[in-house]
Amino acid sequence: MPDTLVPGPRPGPASRAARRRRAATGAALALLLAVTGCGGPAEEERAGAQPTGSAAPGAVAGPLCDALPSGAEPGSPASLVGRPPAEALAWIPVLTMFEAAVRATGMAEELAAAGGLTILAPTDDAFRATFSTANLDRLLLSDTETLRRLLREHLVDGARSAAELVAAGSVTTRAGTTLTVTAAGSGARLADKAVTVCADYRAAGARVHVIDKVLGDLPHTADEEDQHH
Amino acid sequence: MFSALLAAALVATAAPALAQPGTVAQAAEPNQVQGLTVTQGDGFATLAWTRVEGASDYQIERTALAADGTPGTPVVVGVWRPNRQVNNTEPTFADAGFAPGGRFQWRVRARFGTTEQPYSTPVDGTTRSHWGDPGTPGENLRTQWEQTLGAQYTSDVNEYAYTAAIDEASDRVRVVEIGRTVQERPINMLVIGYPKPPATPEAVAATNPLMVNCNVHGNEPGDREACLIMARQLAFTKDSQTLGLLGKTTVLIVPTINGDGRAANTRGNSTGQDLNRDHSLIRQPETRALAEMVRDYRPIAGYDGHEYGNTNTGDLPMLPPRHQNVAQGIFDQSQDMIEGHMYGRGAEDGWWACPYGCTPGANVGLSEETILRNTLGLKNVVNSLLELRSSGGPTRPDEGNTANNRRRKTYSALWTFTEFFKYHGANVKDITRVRDEGVTSQSANDGRIVFRGSRKIEAYPAPHPGEAPPPVDAPTPDRILEQAPCAYRLTEEQYHGERTDGPAGKRTTVAQRIAAHGWKVVKVADGYLVPLAQPQRGLIPLLLDGQAVEGLVAGERIAPTLTGTHNGPLTVSGVACLDGATVRGPIQVRSGAALIVTGSSINGPVNAADAAGLFVTDSRVSGPVHATGTRGPVVLVGNELSGPVGVSGGKATAPLLAGNTVAGPLTCSGNAPAPTNLEVANTVRGPKTGQCAQL
Repeated sequence: MPDTLVPGPRPGPASRAARRRRAATGAALALLLAVTGCGGPAEEERAGAQPTGSAAPGAVAGPLCDALPSGAEPGSPASLVGRPPAEALAWIPVLTMFEAAVRATGMAEELAAAGGLTILAPTDDAFRATFSTANLDRLLLSDTETLRRLLREHLVDGARSAAELVAAGSVTTRAGTTLTVTAAGSGARLADKAVTVCADYRAAGARVHVIDKVLGDLPHTADEEDQHH
Repeated sequence: MFSALLAAALVATAAPALAQPGTVAQAAEPNQVQGLTVTQGDGFATLAWTRVEGASDYQIERTALAADGTPGTPVVVGVWRPNRQVNNTEPTFADAGFAPGGRFQWRVRARFGTTEQPYSTPVDGTTRSHWGDPGTPGENLRTQWEQTLGAQYTSDVNEYAYTAAIDEASDRVRVVEIGRTVQERPINMLVIGYPKPPATPEAVAATNPLMVNCNVHGNEPGDREACLIMARQLAFTKDSQTLGLLGKTTVLIVPTINGDGRAANTRGNSTGQDLNRDHSLIRQPETRALAEMVRDYRPIAGYDGHEYGNTNTGDLPMLPPRHQNVAQGIFDQSQDMIEGHMYGRGAEDGWWACPYGCTPGANVGLSEETILRNTLGLKNVVNSLLELRSSGGPTRPDEGNTANNRRRKTYSALWTFTEFFKYHGANVKDITRVRDEGVTSQSANDGRIVFRGSRKIEAYPAPHPGEAPPPVDAPTPDRILEQAPCAYRLTEEQYHGERTDGPAGKRTTVAQRIAAHGWKVVKVADGYLVPLAQPQRGLIPLLLDGQAVEGLVAGERIAPTLTGTHNGPLTVSGVACLDGATVRGPIQVRSGAALIVTGSSINGPVNAADAAGLFVTDSRVSGPVHATGTRGPVVLVGNELSGPVGVSGGKATAPLLAGNTVAGPLTCSGNAPAPTNLEVANTVRGPKTGQCAQL
């Protein structure tokens, strides 16, 4: 099969083990700050993040990053730098629902809009914890207007790092909802609900932060059925 | 395929780093696991060790080794529990999820309650790379899923390209399009034989083929990736055992009937229909394509691939066709495939097969005939459901890593399908025997009809799987019809009328769906008769009876017209149905009339000239049987016939002659299409001539 399927290995971050150690250090530091109660925003910023543009290409942070492609693997953060956002989403294996939703709603162009975008992408586990399979099928196949609104609850204008979101304190989604943003370890907590589990993927003109909950206010339907063969 | 048999087991050796100067061998610590071996399979490694008396469970640890042997971070990747395997005296665990080709070391330790005992000495090994020599054309093909190390599933476009490349590079493989999805995606099937697959469906059917239906729910893609890998293995393997099996049969692999759902990542097809609730009703083009494939290629055995969300079940929940209308032998043989083969082989290779549901209170695995497992059983196909547990759950704690999780699922499916192929090869005589018995017993139209209700599955003796058998799901009284009708009569409107079910622009009539199942229908003056005296008897009332739970149309039940004794000549005009009857005298079926005979005894000739249809099953006829110029179906199944028997000049549909014993000659001529036996041979003591020479 054509090799072009695979974003080629690019200069990646240090080894997975090294990255794990770094993430652990960051988490421990953040925890320490929280415990001592003297971690103001300025300190948070120094501890948790670096300004946009100065981090190593593909540096991502969060507890889930270790379970995602890294280093020279296909779909690693470094290999996605500069790719169109919709394409980058297709390489992050925990985002199959979100990625399918982007295609179902025809929103690939909106993700690549000029001016940049922050994409708060819930994991497949988050979608499954929120919606029944029948509900997901309905959203993807017929109720795409609702799905489009739901996706816009996860889009914020401007490509912003997790640290920048935290520094801003609150952001407004493209659905018009204002989300409070606070620090959560090295990442961000959104609307006191979702946290970034692997933040700061850099696609072309966009930042992708993988989050652990679905935002917005659609009804919870996950318990409505026992899906089986 | 079977190179696991050749793989050398690596015997435990003390790691150099642990060796003390002057130490020859380390003394075992109390309760330390001993005798650990690691055997590499395709995408998994089987760990086996000596049981520790009193252990409540075991933990399996894996550590990646760098090229220079430097160990990475150890990870507990598995928990062995007593309900995992039928044979608790020789514990095994299939470790999977790692990237193929990597080098690892493994250790195992027992736990007493939550108290951890000492780890075994480590065993290291290099796992197998993706199957196929990278330097050999054909073998070097890889799916998108393999190329991306599990980051992406294989797309529709890549599936078509990959399977076309296999077809191009291997004489053993032919890719055929069996239909199209609602959105016009091709539904392909790989037809695989050695040295090449038979040229036509009919020729394939003569080789006792087996089928794997890989992807029904678009959001359950794990089995499909295994199918694509297995297709490459079968296309290019040099393993003589595999080629020996492949030389005697044909493997039918359908990568995805639900290409639209796969692309959209939905469970249903593009209309939202759950296709595994549609295999009897076939409202959708996807299920109709599969039904027509089964009708034409006639697999004798099957597996149907899914994924299952219950994290506490085994790796591989399985279940046979349980609907009570399924022939007993088909159910028994399917159970033998699961409990007799998969449980035992799973215990050897470390995979945890279990009866679907697998945990108490799981209300799954019932009798809906809309589910392929049951539909296939009702079509006399030995088969099983296969589920891949969606997440790692408590027994595979390292599967928060998506690629690890995807690989474990796919390689466990590959193991299952490979074992299925082996089971089929080793048991083809038994499978064809129960198929033959299924065809004849169903055609006899004997016994009650159950609309919904399952055969009971007893709990497998503890500790495996220990928790629970599948739900009993016995039929309630209102779901039982004690006296089966002889046939259903459909009106013209019912048979040919426009339907409102199914996707707009692709809706089909009852007639088209009945044809897709392959049922025999008799055109009579006031409508269409669907006699139950035919091989899919158990399925027919589930679609055509007014009492059906998910029926297609409420046909009129036609009761037998004669159940006692008739002395003297019998002339049939209109429709006659003899059930358990005795006729002493000749039977003449007039032009345009239909005769259906089940479980009867006829002492005299049976002569049908220009009849609408003739069905004789499970009966004894002392005297000649002649059907000439029949306008509709001729069905002779499971009879004792003195002969001579002659079937000639039949029109419109292939006469079915199967499982009969004919003392005299059997002659067929001028039938278009030619008669068939559905591979259920007749015993003919006299000469077989004409179109029936091979039946």
